[in-house]
Amino acid sequence: MLVQSRGLRDKYCIVGVGETEYSRASGRTTRAMAVEAIRKAILDAGLKAADVDGMLDYQGGDSTLANSVASDLGIRFNFYMDVMGGGSSTEALVGLAMGAIEAGMCNTVAIYRSMNGYSEFRIGGTGARAAQPVRGLDLAQVPYGMRSAGQNFAPTFMRHMYEYGTTSEQVAHVRVAHSKHASQNPKALMKQRVTVQDVVNSRWVVKPLHLLDCCLETDNATCIIVTSAERARNLRQRPVHIMGVAGRVSKPRLDFHWAHGPISRVAGYYAKDIIFPQAGLGPEDVHITGSYDAFTFTTMLQLEEYGFCKKGEGGAYVSSGIIELGGKRPNNTSGSHLCEGYTHGMSMVIENVRQLRGTVDDYCPRAAEGVHTYDYSPGHCRQVKNAEITMNLGWAMPATGSALIMRH
Amino acid sequence: MPQPVQYRGMALIVPDNDSEWKEFYAHARAHRLVVRKCKACGLMRYPPTHACPWCMELGWTWHEVSGRGTIYSYEMVMHAIQPGFKEITPYAVVLVELDEQRGQPTPDEALRVIANLVKADFTPEAEANVQIGRRVRVAFQDLADHMALPQFTLTDEPPAGRVWRLPE
Repeated sequence: MLVQSRGLRDKYCIVGVGETEYSRASGRTTRAMAVEAIRKAILDAGLKAADVDGMLDYQGGDSTLANSVASDLGIRFNFYMDVMGGGSSTEALVGLAMGAIEAGMCNTVAIYRSMNGYSEFRIGGTGARAAQPVRGLDLAQVPYGMRSAGQNFAPTFMRHMYEYGTTSEQVAHVRVAHSKHASQNPKALMKQRVTVQDVVNSRWVVKPLHLLDCCLETDNATCIIVTSAERARNLRQRPVHIMGVAGRVSKPRLDFHWAHGPISRVAGYYAKDIIFPQAGLGPEDVHITGSYDAFTFTTMLQLEEYGFCKKGEGGAYVSSGIIELGGKRPNNTSGSHLCEGYTHGMSMVIENVRQLRGTVDDYCPRAAEGVHTYDYSPGHCRQVKNAEITMNLGWAMPATGSALIMRH
Repeated sequence: MPQPVQYRGMALIVPDNDSEWKEFYAHARAHRLVVRKCKACGLMRYPPTHACPWCMELGWTWHEVSGRGTIYSYEMVMHAIQPGFKEITPYAVVLVELDEQRGQPTPDEALRVIANLVKADFTPEAEANVQIGRRVRVAFQDLADHMALPQFTLTDEPPAGRVWRLPE
């Protein structure tokens, strides 16, 4: 079914971003971390607490709700909502924030995610989550030892390898690229650059996934602030305009997506027809991608499905050098979930906002003023020169995804 | 409510009001693999749901299928996260495409089922034998008086299409 664009291109902006430290032992509550991230984003935007009157957050029973963190900061709501969800929520909530403002419900929305994803509720499904009782739809998979994200996605990757000849070595290049980017990122948990051999020689977790094909588990909070382009003009930062957004687009049979093939197809197959017409551009116009890297494969599958290369040629695309800093269209320039830290997607939007401002927080001494060396050797720059258009490809699972196109 | 079934450290819960799974597992315990068949359009679906995803009809009947099929995709779990699986690691999880209703109602659709690929004694099949394209049939692993898990074992039928496994 065709979705008609509502003509909102460039009418809304992301005006503030903020995050806490990425760690594996935050030693504090998700409430404390959320407050810090939201406060940073408010200050980044040049706003006051009273200017923020809307809030959205996403979680899976592992975080603190908006009513607590807003009260800590002295925020009174005209609109707020807590949403169930993980990956692919960020982009979807950007769209919902635009909708809430467009509907006249509020003026400025803070979107946050706060998680002790390593020290408390492990994202990988180990610990307390592995011991949860199994009922309902989970009975179709979990009794067979299929519970974690990697276990849930691996048959999709395996089928892609079968159908298209995609290799472990090809997708290992995603880790190689993101580790290169992380080496330019003071915030990143894993700054060491790795090789294809490092990835394919790391131990198996669930075939076809090696340990280094998998992302980190991290404690952190992240926040972005959305308001109208009209308000954005008078704020502290160069506004980053939202050109298009697609939220939680799904394949058929979301209850059991295995029922509808080819299973090597992911939700971007449907989302691309929503977002590109909104933005009035195509993949070839995008300078930087932020393709969700829960695993090396997820980045590859989405880039392919959104048309950055032909279907089936994702392995060749990600191993060509295109996705690395210095390449034609770098992907996840912060090192993102594989190397920087796992945030359920928010950090990839934050990174692209900073890229579009020209103020990526790399090791360049005057990065905050937008002065960069464009030296991509280890420990230096990760700002992309003349970055004008970015695209985020959010992933929840093979059958659900979101997307966001921004410009400065 | 029946007691939870303990299996590999997990509590499997099928309450009396479980209108999706209770009868499915009763059939499985009698060693019948059943799916729901729409009373209006006749199409079958798995897992058990309450309306036909193709015509929205609410009426359905349980329909026994042959339990024969082909491995459509798989994974080998090398590092178990559920403690009860560590002793049987590595183990294969397979996505089996059943023979009934392949490529219907569209070429992209089929009745597909997740299970383990096991030997006759329900221990994991050896990795070298886990391949896309291999033919399989259902085997029922009895867990309690009211519950059995459908699993799959290899058959000696010729493979369906190209046989493939992840290169070493």
